[in-house]
Amino acid sequence: MRELLRRYRYFLWAVVLLLSILLLYSYNLRQKSATTFFERAVLTLAAPFQASLDRAVDAVNAAWQHYLWLVETKQRNIQLEKENRRLRSQLQQVAEVRLQNGRLRELLAFVDVLDRPALPAQVIGEDAGSWARTVTIDKGTRAGLQAGLPVVAAEGVVGRIIKSAPYSSRVLLVTDASSAVAALVQRTRTRGVVRGRGAELSLDYASRDADIQKGDLLVTSGMGGVFPKGLTLGHVVAAERDRFGLFQQVRVLPAADFTHLEEVLVIVGEDR
Amino acid sequence: MRGFVFYLAIGLLAALAQTSFLPLFFPPGLRPDLLLVLVIYLGLSEHMLRAVLLVLLLGGIQDSFSGTSLGLYIFVYLAVLLQVRLLSEHLNVESPPLLLLLIAGGTLVQDLLLAFCLTIFADVGSVVHILLPSFPLHVFVNLVAAAIGLFFILRIRPLFGFRSGLAGLMYQSKRHGS
Repeated sequence: MRELLRRYRYFLWAVVLLLSILLLYSYNLRQKSATTFFERAVLTLAAPFQASLDRAVDAVNAAWQHYLWLVETKQRNIQLEKENRRLRSQLQQVAEVRLQNGRLRELLAFVDVLDRPALPAQVIGEDAGSWARTVTIDKGTRAGLQAGLPVVAAEGVVGRIIKSAPYSSRVLLVTDASSAVAALVQRTRTRGVVRGRGAELSLDYASRDADIQKGDLLVTSGMGGVFPKGLTLGHVVAAERDRFGLFQQVRVLPAADFTHLEEVLVIVGEDR
Repeated sequence: MRGFVFYLAIGLLAALAQTSFLPLFFPPGLRPDLLLVLVIYLGLSEHMLRAVLLVLLLGGIQDSFSGTSLGLYIFVYLAVLLQVRLLSEHLNVESPPLLLLLIAGGTLVQDLLLAFCLTIFADVGSVVHILLPSFPLHVFVNLVAAAIGLFFILRIRPLFGFRSGLAGLMYQSKRHGS
């Protein structure tokens, strides 16, 4: 027996290690909203780097767009060109500020409609994997955020916070495969569960007989306890019925544009 | 110890690049898994115990930046590392195409294990709909990233001493024997 154990000791060690980690993963699945010490440490350590990297890339991008590409084409009239570049740069900065202003105004208008206290936050990072859909925002427990809080944009629901560190938090987007939001079709009040499918969403458990048409608006039903009722989730792009299925297969296009997510709102309180 | 910290720093940088830098230019399906490439590299080049410890930490880092629960990528990366280790004893890892094949195989194993764990443990079967269509592109992007990495490693390595780094890569350098 001892000889057998000695001969296969590496194999046994590998199996034990793999099983232990599967147990750890399985245990952590039950504690989804709890941020472990390791995760908190990594997020805390990475947040300033992510924010700096974000700013540096913006600065390099701005420098490239505002200055470098102009150099070769405008050799003459250096003084005039300098002035021209400065003004262009200022104009573009003003345009950028105007755009940001517009987005923040939309968010503020949305906060008024929402009638709940909300905290604005900046997206500073995206998911490191290819299958999961999460983003990192620049506010954390120091700003009063915690796991479970809903996150929205002016266009609609973004997701909910799943991990929170002192200065950053991770948000599970509604498009993530593990995300599920109780929803209803605004026109017919048909209930269902909106699940993430990467770039799109699907409406599950919508009864086969329910009247769902292309273009129908889906809103949160408020049943899950996370999202307030009536927030926009997306529009139906296709509804199909199998010959034998109990439910319809409904594809939904999310209202929020996740490819250009910059500012979001974290809903931090109850109805005013 | 210096090597350990070096690889850990490379892993952190790769994670930061994947979360903050690459998303500016590439959509989710087109971003390479830099940490997976690093795990395969470690499997081929490092002492087993050190590679296992590094992979446990790198998996934890990836879990901190991706998905919902700690443990998923630790498991997947460890499984990939063990398989790379098993394979590397039987294959000629000095061959560049074979190294790239290992990356392709590693990507396949990673996606299969992710799909398996998420379906069986987390009940997120719909992740298959995300993973399956993007798989060919995923493999291609990882191969391109690994090829670019290999290209630079082979040119940078001589600057830091011929013997440092991946043993298998040493023989691929054009400067070998010169």
